[in-house]
Amino acid sequence: MFVSNHMKKTVITVDQDASVFEAQQLMAEKQIRHLPIVDAENRLLAIVTDRDIRSALPYTLLKGSHTDEEKAGLIDLKVKNIMTLDPKSISPMDTIQDALLLIQQHKVGAFPVINEKKELMGILSVRDLLSSFINVLNINEPGTLLCVLVEEKVGQLKKLVDTITEEGISFGSVLVNRHWEEDKRAVFIYLLTNNVVRVKKKITALGFSLLDPMSWYIDNLSQKE
Amino acid sequence: MKRTGYLHDNRYILHDTGPHHPETSDRLLAVYEGIKEEGILEHLTMISASRADLKWIETVHDPVYIRRFEEICLSGHNTFDDPDNCISMDTYESAFLAVGGILDTVDLMMTDKIDNAFCAVRPPGHHAEKDKAMGFCYFNNIAITARYLQEKWGIEKVAIIDIDVHHGNGTQHIFEQDASVFYYSIHEHPSFAYPGTGRDFEVGTLGGHGFTKNSLVLPGQGDDVYYMLIQGDLMPAINKFEPEVILVSTGFDAHRDDEMSDIKVSTQCFSWMMQTIMDLGERHCDGRVISILEGGYSLQRLPELAGNHVKILLDS
Repeated sequence: MFVSNHMKKTVITVDQDASVFEAQQLMAEKQIRHLPIVDAENRLLAIVTDRDIRSALPYTLLKGSHTDEEKAGLIDLKVKNIMTLDPKSISPMDTIQDALLLIQQHKVGAFPVINEKKELMGILSVRDLLSSFINVLNINEPGTLLCVLVEEKVGQLKKLVDTITEEGISFGSVLVNRHWEEDKRAVFIYLLTNNVVRVKKKITALGFSLLDPMSWYIDNLSQKE
Repeated sequence: MKRTGYLHDNRYILHDTGPHHPETSDRLLAVYEGIKEEGILEHLTMISASRADLKWIETVHDPVYIRRFEEICLSGHNTFDDPDNCISMDTYESAFLAVGGILDTVDLMMTDKIDNAFCAVRPPGHHAEKDKAMGFCYFNNIAITARYLQEKWGIEKVAIIDIDVHHGNGTQHIFEQDASVFYYSIHEHPSFAYPGTGRDFEVGTLGGHGFTKNSLVLPGQGDDVYYMLIQGDLMPAINKFEPEVILVSTGFDAHRDDEMSDIKVSTQCFSWMMQTIMDLGERHCDGRVISILEGGYSLQRLPELAGNHVKILLDS
């Protein structure tokens, strides 16, 4: 779960003396939204984002309804005029959990990843985080999702794991929501099988209740920001 | 009354999935009992299976996969590719007979000996990928049938309508780049149900963009949503595509009494759905419809569901 395993290691950078139009074109070509700026020793200086560019250009230019004079007037606008100096960055040894919390806190779309010498090692975007969570949830593998309501006491999860293991079914992922209802938690178990009839019966026979899928998610999740 | 074929072969029973598996040979016996109970057996053209020629299976499946399947069956293993896929020594032969029986059925229809047909085969097929067994499926029966119609009989446009409660991932993937085969599936939402594919934004890729359509049903939903989606999604899509033949992946597991899903479709709604498909077949392809069994695991409900299904094919 370290950033180094999930970041993009080939980073497209831009020169601070490049024009804003060049940066804009580079982003369009590479389908990216963040361009770090580094010095001659590959140390991170700044970052420019597509939002910085949109804010810097008049509406007519973004819409393509500009005149040649309008564009000519902006030709001297450089990346260095609009870039964010010393941007928030993360380390390759930070974890994905760190990155999630930081992205929420700083409301950014990507972090440059730098080592202790400030050298640019990679970039981690929200898109990379999403990919890593798709992997963790295993939802690219075929399976069936169950939701079991369990009492808040020791040993409940073990009973479920034992029952599922007895049936020879592999786990895709297990998520626990601790704030479902008082003294209860909801366990979402993604099982890598099409055949859940017997295991559902066994779980019910142990005294657990299977939740109606339509009462899952949004309404019951805690609203803590 | 239509001339309806009924593919039924006792050798499909030889595919033994062992104890506690939902996809059992009892399903085919339940289907047979239901059709017999309706008193319509004498009106049906009974078809027994011949073994498929390997070359037709290779129109869809990777030769290495086919060999792997044969070897694992003969070696006495009891699962293939995934613990879900329980097999026996005879599974490989049953799978060849399933494909062969359906291709024989196609020949009968294309030579005007029958109008339409129901193929009660095992193992089922719609989860099988070109190089992977999945969800109790080994050969993708319906995909091979579509290719056979195109290559042997010169049919250009085939529509596959998949009413099994699970998404037919194999069928979709095999044809997702192909504009000559339209794939429609109505199934339980993939965030809840196997195999986790068939989201509504999966619409085909490259040249096949727009020739895949998925209609999603949430757990607990039933007839009302099916009426709405079949009329709102399936009918316009088929009317636009104008197929020359319609193939149906018939699963009965969306029934409210089938424990394999959380979907609550009634027996009446199943009949309405099949009648709607037959009406589409009449409008576009002279009633050339072949229905191929996929899932459906309630041994109590299968007789009535299969009986009604075949009565609708017979138009009796």
